[in-house]
Amino acid sequence: MSTVESVKVTIDGREVEVDKGLGLVEAAAAAGVEIPVFCYEPRLGPPVGACRMCLVEVEGVPKLQAGCTLTVQDGMIVRTAAASAKAAEGQNATLEFILVNHPLDCPVCDKGGECPLQDLTFRYGPGQTRMTFPKRTFDKPIPISPTIALDRERCILCYRCTRFSSDVAEDGQLVAKNRGAQSMIATFEDEAYKAPFSGNVIELCPVGALTSTQYRFEGRPWEIQNVPTVCGLCPVGCNVSATTREGKVKRIISRNHPELDEGWLCDKGRFAYPHVYADDRIVDPLAREHRRGFTVLSWDDALDRAEELLRAGRGRIVTALSGSETVEQAYALGKLLRQGLGAHSAVLPEAVSHGLDAFRAPLATIGAAELVVVVGEEKVADRAPIVDLWIRQARRNGAEVVQLAEPKLGKKLEERVSASERAVLIWSGRGGGGGARLAELGHRLGLDAKPACAAFHLPSTPNARGVADAWAACADADEENPEPIGLLIVSGDEAAADPAVRALAEQAESVIAITMFQGLAVGWADLVLPGTSYLERDGSFVNLEGRVQRLRRAVIPPVPDELAWIAKLAERFDVELSPHAAIVFAELSERCFGGIPFGAVGERAPLPERTAYVAPEPASSAPIPPTGPEPDEHFLGTLRLQRYRPLFSGPAVERVPELQFQRPAAEIELAYDDAQRRQIATGDEVSVRSNGTALALSARVNRALAAGTARIADEHAGELHRDVEVIKP
Amino acid sequence: MAAEQFVVLAGAEEQALTKLADYREAGGFAALETARAMEPAAVVQEILDSGLRGRGGAFFPTGRKASFLAKGTGKPTYLVVNADEPEPGTFKDREIMFRVPFRLIEGCLITAHAIESDRVFIYIRGEYLHEFEVLRDALAEVHKAKLLGGVTIVLHRGAGAYICGEETALLESLEGKRGQPRTKPPFPAVAGLYASPSLINNVETIATVPKIVELGGKEYAKTGVPPDSSGTRVFSLSGNVVNGGNYELPMGVTLRELIYEPELGGGIPNGRQLKAVIPGGSSVPVLTADQLDTPLEANAMAEAGSMLGSGAIIVIDDRCCMVQLGLRVAQFYMHESCGKCTPCREGTRWMVQILNSIEEGTASQGDLDLLLDVCDRILGKCLCPLGDAAAMPVASYIDKFRSEFQEHLDSGCPMGGSSSLEGILAPVDQHSHAPVAEVPA
Repeated sequence: MSTVESVKVTIDGREVEVDKGLGLVEAAAAAGVEIPVFCYEPRLGPPVGACRMCLVEVEGVPKLQAGCTLTVQDGMIVRTAAASAKAAEGQNATLEFILVNHPLDCPVCDKGGECPLQDLTFRYGPGQTRMTFPKRTFDKPIPISPTIALDRERCILCYRCTRFSSDVAEDGQLVAKNRGAQSMIATFEDEAYKAPFSGNVIELCPVGALTSTQYRFEGRPWEIQNVPTVCGLCPVGCNVSATTREGKVKRIISRNHPELDEGWLCDKGRFAYPHVYADDRIVDPLAREHRRGFTVLSWDDALDRAEELLRAGRGRIVTALSGSETVEQAYALGKLLRQGLGAHSAVLPEAVSHGLDAFRAPLATIGAAELVVVVGEEKVADRAPIVDLWIRQARRNGAEVVQLAEPKLGKKLEERVSASERAVLIWSGRGGGGGARLAELGHRLGLDAKPACAAFHLPSTPNARGVADAWAACADADEENPEPIGLLIVSGDEAAADPAVRALAEQAESVIAITMFQGLAVGWADLVLPGTSYLERDGSFVNLEGRVQRLRRAVIPPVPDELAWIAKLAERFDVELSPHAAIVFAELSERCFGGIPFGAVGERAPLPERTAYVAPEPASSAPIPPTGPEPDEHFLGTLRLQRYRPLFSGPAVERVPELQFQRPAAEIELAYDDAQRRQIATGDEVSVRSNGTALALSARVNRALAAGTARIADEHAGELHRDVEVIKP
Repeated sequence: MAAEQFVVLAGAEEQALTKLADYREAGGFAALETARAMEPAAVVQEILDSGLRGRGGAFFPTGRKASFLAKGTGKPTYLVVNADEPEPGTFKDREIMFRVPFRLIEGCLITAHAIESDRVFIYIRGEYLHEFEVLRDALAEVHKAKLLGGVTIVLHRGAGAYICGEETALLESLEGKRGQPRTKPPFPAVAGLYASPSLINNVETIATVPKIVELGGKEYAKTGVPPDSSGTRVFSLSGNVVNGGNYELPMGVTLRELIYEPELGGGIPNGRQLKAVIPGGSSVPVLTADQLDTPLEANAMAEAGSMLGSGAIIVIDDRCCMVQLGLRVAQFYMHESCGKCTPCREGTRWMVQILNSIEEGTASQGDLDLLLDVCDRILGKCLCPLGDAAAMPVASYIDKFRSEFQEHLDSGCPMGGSSSLEGILAPVDQHSHAPVAEVPA
């Protein structure tokens, strides 16, 4: 690392030595001086100097300067409002102009109390208005999407939201229209702002112009508590604060971890929390009675029933895990079943290979890369949305991003990767041994020896790695596959929603399901035990980087915590198990996390060091994508179907009314050539058939798709097999 | 006795030079040949020696601007010609474009050679359809005559925004973005069009370059008022004057000469009295009748408290109500404010509201000071000069005609609301947003 030259600047009479090229706002902060800003936000790219809040006096320059647009120069002497009457007048003027047409409706504004405009007006602005004319009015609030409301009268046109849309998420949907005093934020033709990261504009807005429809009028800042936790809906594990009021989650906001999420959240993480209050939430244990549907059990009866089923199934028990359990839950289940009952057989979610530990690096490494190779058929944003933003950042910084459907880089690209000091490999799809093949490739190309290179696998579940490690830490015995299955234990909503698990259930003599929602358990489980959400749990998650992060209970669940009743059940099988996450963590930490204490998994968890590369085991245990017989090439031929799980899918999203507009349409994506040959255009109704199943779907031509393939979202693909015929009726 | 001196408009005194053959006959494209035989740096030196300053209004030394261009960036260098000419009262560039289109093109090619660029954009005001067609046809002829020498010249039509005459907003518009100015630094010489080094010059500036090469910079610098105001300017004379129009004159001619010489402005019509003069486009401070002997050159204008700006001289006779004039000017800038920075966006609207109430007679005594304070709070605090362009003239009207404003407060408009701005500034609603002609069905 070359050392950066340092320069001396004097701000309000305080001399500081800072790195050359540092922004003046940051340099002033280093000197303990505030330069107030609205539009300035370094995460959105270069400064724009629009709001003029940051006006300062720079010695030798006659006019006031926008501090946010300046970088420090050696010997620079700067005076802010605190030391210069001219700068104070300038900042006061800016605030007066901002407020001239602002409605000043703070008492009914959601932002009130946590509003930069309020704060800065209090510190730098005029106490009285001189405006005696009618203020500018607009229709309001405008729903720019079912999740976001726009109040154009409160808007101070800092262009943070439009810059986010065009320069960070690159969806280009939010724009400014009209000119001058009539400028307003809008979407094209007033269509809904439908993009995976739209909710970030709410947090970016320095006033109450963009508000969350879910949080609107739900709480004031002095009535709420923010609980620092992590999002449990994808393997990134964005750091969030769950805002709670009177024991209920009211919103999710970011808790910026610069290495991990840079303060951005996807809309699933931000808006899916109301699933906790879903109508079909299970709050009591349920038992299936012959011909009578379900009856509610007391917890004592439920534990008796569970014990009964466990004893009956002894030795022939299979556990299907979701990958959304906390490490502690998975360990508790494993300890009960493996040590208490010798039931070692498990269906584990696709986990991240330990082979990737040799390439461990924060996700921010992607943003600084010069070459990013993404392998796999699935969209990065569907699997790990924030990674998509990091890749976009890399591209904006000049990196080349290569997308490959298959992990065949070719000689030229391999040479470039191995010659690069800042290359990143990303696996976004099924198969590949959870990154084992990627690790082999990375090692062959020498990435493990270079600190600014990395390799990431994007698993399909949030805590697959932690769950697999915890399960493995419970016992050494190998699993055997019982035939037939005596008892199937289905842990979690994702497992309960998985068709493969449902298929297993058909072979099992009895089924215990742990799930939050009635819709997922009714009809096939013999005993249903209510589950909890990640927002209601204490414990830890391991994200796709290998970072151990702490979940904190934001709200008390309406049902006992899983750990509590697993511990009680364990007692009956003479297994010692604590109902407290901290104690369970202490027990498993030695085996899973090198003995770190629970307290060390702090509010911003650090990333463990890289380990030496160890060749992963042959990818025999890894799920292999199903391979059917080669399609017969008759007229027009069949297409190979890629089923994918869209970002906005799953049990939580399905239960949030505001997110329904984000869910994928019932459509089939076709490659351009395939569509041409079938004379199909976007929007056409087509029939999709395989093995006796036929579905009517709407067609969409996707030019980025490889010929011979078709994509359908899992939830719309029904029983379709791998090879499908697409016919325009 | 002031007389016209033709440099930019040379050869087109009688009729427009819209045919290549005519332009060549008048000596056209000889300078290009001379320049191409010279080292690029030597051409820049000639421009430096000439003392040429930007004719768009900012009056920045052209040679120095060219010498700021970043070298060795690995990116192309662009020459961008600002033909947007949005300032009210200004109509010199359009005349240059339709009378001597080839001189502009020759200037582009010489300048491109000087800065080692092969990419030129001419950003032409959308409303200038005729001028666009003339330039387009001229360009076709130049192309046919193989004079381009590997340089590509692109004509780009604007879409009706004052702000796109500001160089960085022009670049944004050229890149297909919303026309709003950029913050500087980085200056366009370092990161301009498509983040590449770019030189942006006004039409008149570029059209002066062939003459500089022809004469030599030092010789050219002898005209006008060297060292700061050498050369000629095409002045657009309008308002309450007998002979409105463009006059190319050496700098240093006085306002009185331009307005009253029978060969030039010819005085005020209908025996009226001159009340005020706007000497450099609607955005500059006004001058009064007793300042008529101010020479039209930068330093003298600065001493008089105003600017030469875009060279648009608007003559105002004694029928004009200064409050109405201020209102018209403020309305224009409110309408054209791009909305990017706060003081301009909010301040211009507020100015219009206050001026309206003064003109309507509903204002109170404090409103006059409030108006001055609003102007002061806009001045020097905006991202680009548009805010200043609104605040400066209005503040100067109050400053120089305070008693007239006071009369409005005391007993209403002394002109009884019948004051005419005819011939001075067009009503705001005539500033079209739609440069594209409507095609009847």
